[in-house]
Amino acid sequence: MSQAQATVSLPEPTVISRILRGLAGNRTGTIGFVLVVLILAAAIFAPWISQYDPAAIMTGPRMAPPSSDHWLGTDNLGRDLFSRVLAGGRVAMLVAGASLGAALSLGLVLGLVAGLGPRWLDNLLLLLFDALRSFPTIVFGLAVVTLVGPSLFTVILVVAITSVPIYARIIRTQAQSLRNAEFVMAERAMGAGLPRILFVHVLPNVLGPLLILASMDVPLVIATEAGLSFLGMGVRPPTSSWGVILNDGYNFIRNSPWPVIAGSVPIVLVTLGFTFLGEALRDIFDPRLQKAN
Amino acid sequence: MTKTNTVSMASAPFGRRAFLKGAASTCLFAATMPLGSRIWAQSGQTLRLSAYADIDALDPAFYQNGYNVDVMNCIYTKLIRYKAGREWDWELESAEEIEQVDDTHIRFKLKQGLQFSGDYGEITAEDVKFSFERAILHDSPVKSDWGPLDHVEVTGRYEGVIVLKEPFQPLWTIALPYGTGHIVSKKAVLDATDDGGNFGMTPPVFSGAYVLAEWKSNQYVRLTRNPAWTGPAPGFDEIRILPMDDTKTAERAYEAGDLDFTQITLSSLAQYRQDPPANTTIEEYPSLYYVWLGMNLDNPALGDKNLRQAIQYAINVKQVVDAAYFGEAEPATGLIAPGLPGHRDHSAIPVEGDLDKAREFLQAAGGPPSQPLTIDTLNASEWTTMAQIIQAQLAKVGIPTQINVQDSGSFWTLGMESEGDRWKNMQLVLNRFSMLPDPYYATSWFVSEQVGIWNWERFSSPEFDKLHQKALSEIDPDERAAIYRQMQDIMEQSGAYRFLTHEGSPVMYRDSLEPALRPDGRPLLPRFSGSV
Repeated sequence: MSQAQATVSLPEPTVISRILRGLAGNRTGTIGFVLVVLILAAAIFAPWISQYDPAAIMTGPRMAPPSSDHWLGTDNLGRDLFSRVLAGGRVAMLVAGASLGAALSLGLVLGLVAGLGPRWLDNLLLLLFDALRSFPTIVFGLAVVTLVGPSLFTVILVVAITSVPIYARIIRTQAQSLRNAEFVMAERAMGAGLPRILFVHVLPNVLGPLLILASMDVPLVIATEAGLSFLGMGVRPPTSSWGVILNDGYNFIRNSPWPVIAGSVPIVLVTLGFTFLGEALRDIFDPRLQKAN
Repeated sequence: MTKTNTVSMASAPFGRRAFLKGAASTCLFAATMPLGSRIWAQSGQTLRLSAYADIDALDPAFYQNGYNVDVMNCIYTKLIRYKAGREWDWELESAEEIEQVDDTHIRFKLKQGLQFSGDYGEITAEDVKFSFERAILHDSPVKSDWGPLDHVEVTGRYEGVIVLKEPFQPLWTIALPYGTGHIVSKKAVLDATDDGGNFGMTPPVFSGAYVLAEWKSNQYVRLTRNPAWTGPAPGFDEIRILPMDDTKTAERAYEAGDLDFTQITLSSLAQYRQDPPANTTIEEYPSLYYVWLGMNLDNPALGDKNLRQAIQYAINVKQVVDAAYFGEAEPATGLIAPGLPGHRDHSAIPVEGDLDKAREFLQAAGGPPSQPLTIDTLNASEWTTMAQIIQAQLAKVGIPTQINVQDSGSFWTLGMESEGDRWKNMQLVLNRFSMLPDPYYATSWFVSEQVGIWNWERFSSPEFDKLHQKALSEIDPDERAAIYRQMQDIMEQSGAYRFLTHEGSPVMYRDSLEPALRPDGRPLLPRFSGSV
């Protein structure tokens, strides 16, 4: 009786409560979480926070230092840097969300097909993944941009294409290891179809590690976007991006250091935030680490 | 001079003890030098500078741009060359004498003993004839530099007469001292090609102070002394030219110590004046370049002249130029820079533009275009700045635009029919051409014959073409200048052009260097001297 009572009074903790509890006991994880929340909030509420249109030129003197009118100063066209940093954050989050979302979805499908499908298809897909991974992202990006022209969509496309093999390979490995797991065999013996095995057993097992990996990839994706934009191969002017701000600032660094600072600090913060958070999530969800703790 | 040298050498106390002392102090000095400097000193004197674009043609009869000619100046000789200094003038190079006999005959005599590299022997009048005539014979895209050249008559081993069909004013300012004036060996070119035509990027022979030792596409051009050169010794053992299409990059490379000479951007000029890098001289030269916004007349979206005029009037050139060049450049009134014959004091459209007129034209065009117009521009800070200001100005009257930033390789072939169909989609394009000290050089790229080559606006006017021909042989300077002003009026009236600026040409270099520069600040590399 007392054992039954104990079972009722200790319900299975939800994922969110596990995360929050895990983060509470992890200082870097908390810092990462706070940074990510702040960055996301700034990106989402940018239009309400900005005082100026990020593309509006001559909103103040050119290359001005920070002031009460322009919190981060102005760039070479007199545009408000604070507004441009916020707008750049939206672009960064959009690229990260869209490209990683697309890469995850496509990687999931291709990984499952490779892992659970016939051998020849697995070999073919592996060849494709390896071929795609052999291109360095920026070089591949430059080639694609030269062919189709620079735009936000192109950046998303480049990042998605170069990220798909990473996720697909992980899913393939997971799917192959689960393919012959006892509980999957048991399900199969009980007459369960492939969709049920996939969605009820395989997916939940691979999704966690995948999401952690994706969260740790966010800074990489943002750096790729910033890198392409820095090289003039990313978003079109006058769209703001941290890479564009950095490039403009770099060109006029003798006139004012503020644009370079304004463009680089968010990249540093976003890298720290997502890396800390990703590591904390890995600690929370990785059963081996939990066991060790 | 000789005497002074002899005396000073003889009187110098240069015994064994002095030698040992000198050697010891040299070793001590070398040992205390930083490692980099020691390696540098061992490798000889190398002049390093940047170029706005990589070379893409080394055949003088088929040169493509001024950066090709910078290298050609080093590896080939020519009868006359531009004088270094602040005034446009020429001086003899491989010619011992040259004179205009009448309007259509120019007699020259080569210096004796000038050698081609390899086993191709002495430079003769036959080589001069071959070099000059082949641009026309092989229908070169720059054959117009030779205008009405009929033939070159060889009258002796070193003597000849250039015979023109009609007077040609740019002969002394362009044809002889610039690209097509360089001399190649007839035998070497015929050996290397089937018909004496374009040899592209592999010169079969050198006749200048340097030879092309190495070229790595988009990385560097390395020139070394030509052992066969019998003229005055060049100032440097080696010249390294690094292509950098953004001058800001060149500025940073100079500051990092990777360059000894570079152009600088006008937007950085004020800062450099205030706070120059160590041991650096900064000089400013007026530029002859012309920058403009062109409109593709064959693109359906720009077919209505009213829309084009709306664009012309919506652009405040003063604002564009001030923003891009930080107030260091002046708005242009046409293609031809101040100081050259044919310069217009005013453009028909005010440099400040006129928004009311722009709106009127836009209304007459039936309103703004339904799709944003594209502005193609090079991926360099000044250009993207200009594009963004123009975009904002056009937005003020309701014309939506979208900026396409292109790298140099992609940009410079945009309007060329030979490079595919991209010219069809091109709409507005920010462009800049280099210039020489004759108005003919500016207008020659906009004649009907150049449509789809360098005339990217695809502007074609029989009247313009006729005037262009007329100006070539016009001897009266005032009449000639008036013709060029009229030609710029026709260009502007077509609605295909909004002239922006001639920029400026500031340069910086190490104090120990003695550069030889044209009056527009362009380097004359073989004549650089000093040390680096």
